[in-house]
Amino acid sequence: MFSSIEDVIERFAKNNYIASRRIATVIYLATELRKPVLVEGPAGVGKTDLAKVLSASLSFDMIRLQCYEGLDEGKALYEWEYAKQLLYTQILKDKISEVLVGAKGLTEAVDRIAAQDEVFFSERFVLPRPLLKAISSEQPSVLLIDEIDKADAEFEAFLLELLSDFQVTVPELGTLKAKHIPLVILTSNNAREMSDALKRRCLHLYIDFPDRAQELAIVKLKVPEAAAKLSEEVVTVVQSLRKLDLKKMPGISETLDWVKALTLLNVQSLDQELVNETLDTIVKYEGDVRKAQEELKDYVRRVRARRGTETGSDKDLLN
Amino acid sequence: MQEKLVEFANLLRENGVRVSLAETLDAFSASEVTGLGERDAFRAALRATMVKRSTELPVFEELFDIFFSGLGEIIKQASQAVQNALSMSDQEFQKFLDEITEMLKKEGKNLSELAKQLLQNNSGELERKINEAARAVKISGIERTIEENYFARALARQLGLDKIEAEIKNLREQLEKMDVGPELKAKLEEYLERRLKALDDIIRRFVRMEREKRDIKQKDDQRLNQIGEKSFYYLTEEELKKMNEAVNRLAQRLKNVITVRRKRAKKGRFDIKRTLRQNLSYGGVPFKLRFEKRKREKPQVVILCDVSDSVRNASRFMLQFVYSLQDLYSRVRSFIFVADIGEVTEHFRNNDSKEALDVALKGDIINVYAHSNFGYAFRSFVSDHIGSVNKRTTVIVLGDARNNYNLPHDGCLREIQQRAKKVIWLNPESRNTWGFGDSEMDRYAPHCDVVEECRNLNQLYRVIDRLVTG
Repeated sequence: MFSSIEDVIERFAKNNYIASRRIATVIYLATELRKPVLVEGPAGVGKTDLAKVLSASLSFDMIRLQCYEGLDEGKALYEWEYAKQLLYTQILKDKISEVLVGAKGLTEAVDRIAAQDEVFFSERFVLPRPLLKAISSEQPSVLLIDEIDKADAEFEAFLLELLSDFQVTVPELGTLKAKHIPLVILTSNNAREMSDALKRRCLHLYIDFPDRAQELAIVKLKVPEAAAKLSEEVVTVVQSLRKLDLKKMPGISETLDWVKALTLLNVQSLDQELVNETLDTIVKYEGDVRKAQEELKDYVRRVRARRGTETGSDKDLLN
Repeated sequence: MQEKLVEFANLLRENGVRVSLAETLDAFSASEVTGLGERDAFRAALRATMVKRSTELPVFEELFDIFFSGLGEIIKQASQAVQNALSMSDQEFQKFLDEITEMLKKEGKNLSELAKQLLQNNSGELERKINEAARAVKISGIERTIEENYFARALARQLGLDKIEAEIKNLREQLEKMDVGPELKAKLEEYLERRLKALDDIIRRFVRMEREKRDIKQKDDQRLNQIGEKSFYYLTEEELKKMNEAVNRLAQRLKNVITVRRKRAKKGRFDIKRTLRQNLSYGGVPFKLRFEKRKREKPQVVILCDVSDSVRNASRFMLQFVYSLQDLYSRVRSFIFVADIGEVTEHFRNNDSKEALDVALKGDIINVYAHSNFGYAFRSFVSDHIGSVNKRTTVIVLGDARNNYNLPHDGCLREIQQRAKKVIWLNPESRNTWGFGDSEMDRYAPHCDVVEECRNLNQLYRVIDRLVTG
């Protein structure tokens, strides 16, 4: 575990994740208090990455449960391997008849079969899904429940039970208790409001888009091969786009994609044509693209005018 | 500290942030882990444990600043002001304070604790004393500006300000007798004078801050609920903005309802015939189970929205709703009308809500300044767009049915009803006024399957809920 908040920041940095003090504090609290963390925020600000980095920096296993509409216990917790059970009964037909040899009447036969019940309802035939895996894992683990807002309200209620006790009752097997309480990270894109009960059990972390300096640091860390000037320009553009009323704001991942794409094209600095051609890596809707183009036209013109008169720093302009 | 946290939790609650007891307990244990030494970590700890909605974050930030730094900050500013008035540098001031401490040790035997702390600029102790006194006079009950004076006086009394005044006066008299240089004496005199004023100032500002704490009350949620019951006709500009938010939330909620219900309905009953047939190849052993599949009709909706002047506020809101609805269902066609009728489906699909609504209401699509004529609108709809209505279509009409005594052409509505699955009429007017004056509601009502009064958000919500389930 972590020894202090600074330790969190440091070890995250080693895994290429720039954690603000706020994020680090919450993670530190989560490990100390053993509470799940509900991470909210717009898409593409590194919510899922947070869990990955957490598991990497503690060298825990990561178990991931991706939520979607209609996700149920069978997919999330465990399932009986129905087909396997059937297959075994078919293959073991002879053995079963051996058990039944000499049985008088139907009642006795059924009793004898019933005595063998646990053979078929044993852990051998349980197909563990992520949640059960996290609970029964021998090593401590990080459990990432991704996009919990996509799952239905019933599933959320079911999750509550799990998150408070970390034990699961399988009727045929009894209660399975977690050997190590996993560190749980839940992420939500706010497609719907989570229930109060769930929120109450979690620490809440809201990650917003990073400010300019932070984003620049992230770009430098993740795409070190990009030209310094280019990354600055890209970050500035993306920051200004986030001020617009877009259907989907470009996240950090979009910024990184864009920088990577431009670097691949061996671009040193932005210009109008390039922006227009590659804009769809960061803005994903038709209406948004139009708005972005409108905004960027001004920006590029300003840059060019500036460059015409002097070749000094662009910094003032960028702000 | 615990008391302070409980108080903070109460304050958050007063300002519309829902903080449960369990969360307050979490805040205790979290603040124990982070410690109080570092402000940012402490703030983050409280934030993570007490605030669970991103919309409530600004309220938290604001209150945290006031609550946890308020008094200390005020005291610091006050002593800074004293220092400035004496025109001393930090070092000089510190040396000066040391001298005073020395002097008080010799001369100040009969001074009260508070006076000493005040003169020695012991801000931590001072803060604690003031907080104690504040609790004693129950300052948390302050609500209005006019109560400030009362509480300031009560607080001063509780702190024993008059006694301190006397004590300091005494001290000044003693000062006369002491043999110190005239320069230092003058400075000391001024210092005493100013300190006394500073305390007074601190008390006043503290009381004001306490009032402000209770004043921020951005009870957003509550206000939205109130808006829910308010008629569309009486909404102010600002409330309209809030309303948009509410409508979006409503649509979101609706979406959840739909997904849950859809999921529940997805699997039908166990299908014996199909299961047997499917498993013939396994010798009749049921390896694969088959269930009846339910076919779900995608709802098709045609919306006719009145945007005439008589329903101005309502129509803006209704359009917002239409817009959200179109986002929700894939097969929605939206029309607006006053006398002419025009389709806005494409337009809504391609623009964001504000832009779309502005264009629709500005008159680019149809003339919105005409007198409303439902009869004509229905007739044009039947002749031009009747193809969009079929057995699976739900037609929703949003309007007040005020026809300006034009021909109602209710036959056209009947024709629409005959072709459609359902016709729903939502009227933003009170039910009592239907059929009076130029309202043709009574004439149109027989040709609708559902007629609902829909004057505010809550009524609309109920209507939609029925629409989704039905």
